[in-house]
Amino acid sequence: MITSRHGEAGQRHAGLSRRQTLAALLALGLCPGAVLAGAPESPRVVTLFQGATDTAVALGVIPVGAVLSWQDPPVYPYLRTALAETTIVGLETQPSLEDIAVLSPTVIVASRFRHQRIAPLLSRIAPVVMLEDIYRFDTTLERMAQALTQQAQADRLMAQYRARVTMLRTRLAAHFGQAWPLTVSLIDIRADQVRSYLPGSFAGRVLSDLGFHWTETARTAHGILLKLGGVESLPALDAELFFVMRHSAGPAVRAHEQRLMTHPLWQRMRAPSTGRVYSVDPVAWSLSGGILGVFDLLDSIERQVVEARAA
Amino acid sequence: MAERVLRRPGFSRRLDLAPWRRVLMVALVLLAVAAGSLATGKVPLGREQLLALLEGTHSPVRVIVLELRLPRLVLGALVGGLLALSGWLFQQIMRNALASPDILGVTSGASAAAVSYLAWLAVPLGAWGVPFAAMAGAVGAAGLIYALAWSRGVTPIRLVLTGIGVSAALGAVTTFVLAFSPLTTTLSAYVWLTGSVYGANWHDVGTLALWAVVLILPLAIKMRFAVLAALDDALATGLGVRVQRQRAVLLALAAAMAGVAIAAGGAFAFVGLIAPHLARRVSSAVGASQAVLSVLWGSLLVVCADWIARTVFLPLDLPAGIFVAALGAPFFLWLLLREAR
Repeated sequence: MITSRHGEAGQRHAGLSRRQTLAALLALGLCPGAVLAGAPESPRVVTLFQGATDTAVALGVIPVGAVLSWQDPPVYPYLRTALAETTIVGLETQPSLEDIAVLSPTVIVASRFRHQRIAPLLSRIAPVVMLEDIYRFDTTLERMAQALTQQAQADRLMAQYRARVTMLRTRLAAHFGQAWPLTVSLIDIRADQVRSYLPGSFAGRVLSDLGFHWTETARTAHGILLKLGGVESLPALDAELFFVMRHSAGPAVRAHEQRLMTHPLWQRMRAPSTGRVYSVDPVAWSLSGGILGVFDLLDSIERQVVEARAA
Repeated sequence: MAERVLRRPGFSRRLDLAPWRRVLMVALVLLAVAAGSLATGKVPLGREQLLALLEGTHSPVRVIVLELRLPRLVLGALVGGLLALSGWLFQQIMRNALASPDILGVTSGASAAAVSYLAWLAVPLGAWGVPFAAMAGAVGAAGLIYALAWSRGVTPIRLVLTGIGVSAALGAVTTFVLAFSPLTTTLSAYVWLTGSVYGANWHDVGTLALWAVVLILPLAIKMRFAVLAALDDALATGLGVRVQRQRAVLLALAAAMAGVAIAAGGAFAFVGLIAPHLARRVSSAVGASQAVLSVLWGSLLVVCADWIARTVFLPLDLPAGIFVAALGAPFFLWLLLREAR
């Protein structure tokens, strides 16, 4: 951004007298801020949860401060280049208020669930956009676009999302033929537990938009996830297609996955017995929480489900 | 020994100045620590920046010192002071050097209630209710202990034993709730159980300060009973004290002080136990000066702990509760050993 502004200014100087040019260059050299202040300043945003960081980047507003990522800290790999200049302001659960204050932000995006307690302090630093349900990427996008006055970009992103979903739905229908629509289960394997994400969850909403159907258990459950009690409750997951994410790359999680997948109750379910188990990236499918993550998620379905079989 | 005696009709006080000089010394140490704590933190501040504060313009430095560090410091001091005063009162009433809100079930009551709230009600209702739950839990536990210990009046030893029993049962409730609650609330519950003054704001400070005034005023009036409470029941009765009634009032005050402190800062352990002992090490004169010394030691412990917690392990900002015991126990042992020699 800055370099392009310099470029424009340089071109304009060509038409000016030597003295004016000299004065302008001198002014630019002495206090570049004053000369460039005419251009609308982009907001200095600090994002306090992962979905807000993702969404800010999607809207073209690089956050000046963001919190540590859950996986691959400090920043999810897909955001590394965009956030090269961003200051990390601590943990999502307990951000460093002093670091935030030093950044002098013009807007702070926070989550009601995590940051309710520090909301009074945050609002002393800058206006706060407080989001309720951070797994709703579209709401996050809409609210942040309003706060950052980037509605046009948000509309473009949502249009892009809808177009991609429509296209992928057609491809999925063509790919599975008679079998479509399939029932789906979205499984998160952790070291000590197994979770099943419901239709209302971050990725669950995208899968619903794509036309996947849900099992009886998932449809009737409340909230965004179910915790499974143990291997005995594996049959509650039974569906025609599984997306499975390992919560972390640790050996404990891998061992747990191994134990589950070799269990007779797992192998007897419909998706494993027909080979429709897809291992997916937890960052895109759950932890990112924003529209860029959703695009990665759609990419991975295209790549792993639709194109893999054809290749 | 410098001693002043004030006698008016219906009112007489004996004022021994020696212990108050020690009170002043500890207070000065607390002030010095407070100043150091304000000047250091995640964002290092130079002397010019600190002096610029006095100019009163709105700047990040001003926000950091006056809106982030100062309320956190004051809240820590209030929490520590109230817990220490509560512990001092418990030790006087129970005539037991091991009595404190942690051991007598008040802290466990507050913890069990707060953790239950965090697990089941924080999501639908919001986290604002945690202090109220903690306070209700503390007062409820104290009431339960008093009722269970009652047998034609309560005796200190029955109170201690009942307290330990109730405390163990409520500790089990806390563990049970933690095991059954979702992962996300477990984390905030652990921070709460350790005790933390992260994110303190002036509103919290104001609320707790108001409570402190409301609870300390009646104690100031009842102070002579608090001193006499450490005596034998028969002796106190002989001196004209209605033992059971005063005991009930002082117990209620002690429980409420611990309750409001825990509600504001979480279940800081150890302060209530150790601060009164530190006070006794500094001055053995029983009376208001010892109570004030306990308050100062309690404040000093929590303020120092929070100072360490937020500066030594940067970039982490740890719960201060971790360091209260880490700091208080060695210091206390050192004092004991020095005395033994």
